Amino acid sequence: MKTIFLFDLDSTVTKEEILPTIANKVGKGAEMRELTEKTMMGDLPFQESFRSRVATLSDSSVKNVSDMISEIETSPAIVDFLKNHENSYIVTSNLDVWIEKLMKKIGMENRYFCSKATVKNDKIVDIEHILSKDSVRDKFSNRAKIVAVGDGSNDFDMLRKADIGISYGGVRKIAPSLIDISDYSVYNDNKLCELLNNIEKEEAQSE
Amino acid sequence: MGTRLGAGKPKALIDINGKPLIAHTLELLKDVDDVRIVVGYQAEKVIDAVNQYRNDVIFVYNHNYQQNGTGASVSLAKKYSKKFFLTIDGDILIHPNDMKKILKSEEEFIGVCEPSTDDPVLVDIDKNGLVTGFSRKHGKYEWTGVTMLESNKVSSTDGHVFHLIEPLLPLKYKLIREKEIDTPNDYKNAIIWVTNGYK
Repeated sequence: MKTIFLFDLDSTVTKEEILPTIANKVGKGAEMRELTEKTMMGDLPFQESFRSRVATLSDSSVKNVSDMISEIETSPAIVDFLKNHENSYIVTSNLDVWIEKLMKKIGMENRYFCSKATVKNDKIVDIEHILSKDSVRDKFSNRAKIVAVGDGSNDFDMLRKADIGISYGGVRKIAPSLIDISDYSVYNDNKLCELLNNIEKEEAQSE
Repeated sequence: MGTRLGAGKPKALIDINGKPLIAHTLELLKDVDDVRIVVGYQAEKVIDAVNQYRNDVIFVYNHNYQQNGTGASVSLAKKYSKKFFLTIDGDILIHPNDMKKILKSEEEFIGVCEPSTDDPVLVDIDKNGLVTGFSRKHGKYEWTGVTMLESNKVSSTDGHVFHLIEPLLPLKYKLIREKEIDTPNDYKNAIIWVTNGYK
């Protein structure tokens, strides 16, 4: 059985939280922290929260933000896994115009799903479409085995819909809502990749 | 879950001389590369405790732990692993020297001990020294909840671990010293055992 791997980007592939890191660099750290906390407390639904967090950075040059995001530290083990597995994809609600450069850098330019933004004069003017992570599963054959890896509460549906849901706690604490629907939790990126390789091997042998 | 113990926490987390029970086992497994722990009851508490000792454990969820048995947990844990797997129940302490012996094993075995608990699962040994069956009524030794099996010979079950083992009998056994903690009395004895250097 063919296996497809879906990875969350933020605090899974990356070793830092993307938006807070960028916000700190452009002097919007406090604003971003407040929004993030509100979201974690459940006071702000995801889509609204995401739009607000993007708005916090909308004064900044898209090119600058994109450059900064491309410099973000990533997990060597996970990037290596992505490079060596054509059947792996990144699934993120982050914006295309911000993450394109990073995706190219890690060799994923044709293998990611994300949200879409409209840009004018190097500034974000609109979010055209916010990706709903669970919709990605439907882009693949019913016959494929889907393995999803994530850490945040917005990975809930993606993990729940997957055949194997793995919550990853190597960077941030795993969102409590993921615990009830996870098949595995792993806190070390090397171990995660070992498990993924073992899954692929065993699934390939079974039909 | 440790209902008979009345501890209000998973047995894996009860304190034995300043460390949770599971930490004692983890220390004996420190040179083992691939360690999986099946969690269900108070999963996050168990995970937090384990992560204090090593961060490379794979946690496997048995969300139906209230309805199914230890065999279901083992069925889940052994997926995507190597040729052999060693399974150790979460409520036992193993003598360190016997753990060393176990970890050197290159073949399947059933871990047994001298009968000592109130309601043991016993094993029958045949004249060739092989385990031929489990029983609550007769058997020379007690089953320990420690077993090494070949992964792809084992199917799955919702019942006990010995339901997984039965189709594979007869198998060799290894005699080990251990303490199982089911009752407040077991708990007291386990602490004394560890304090006295496992004598």
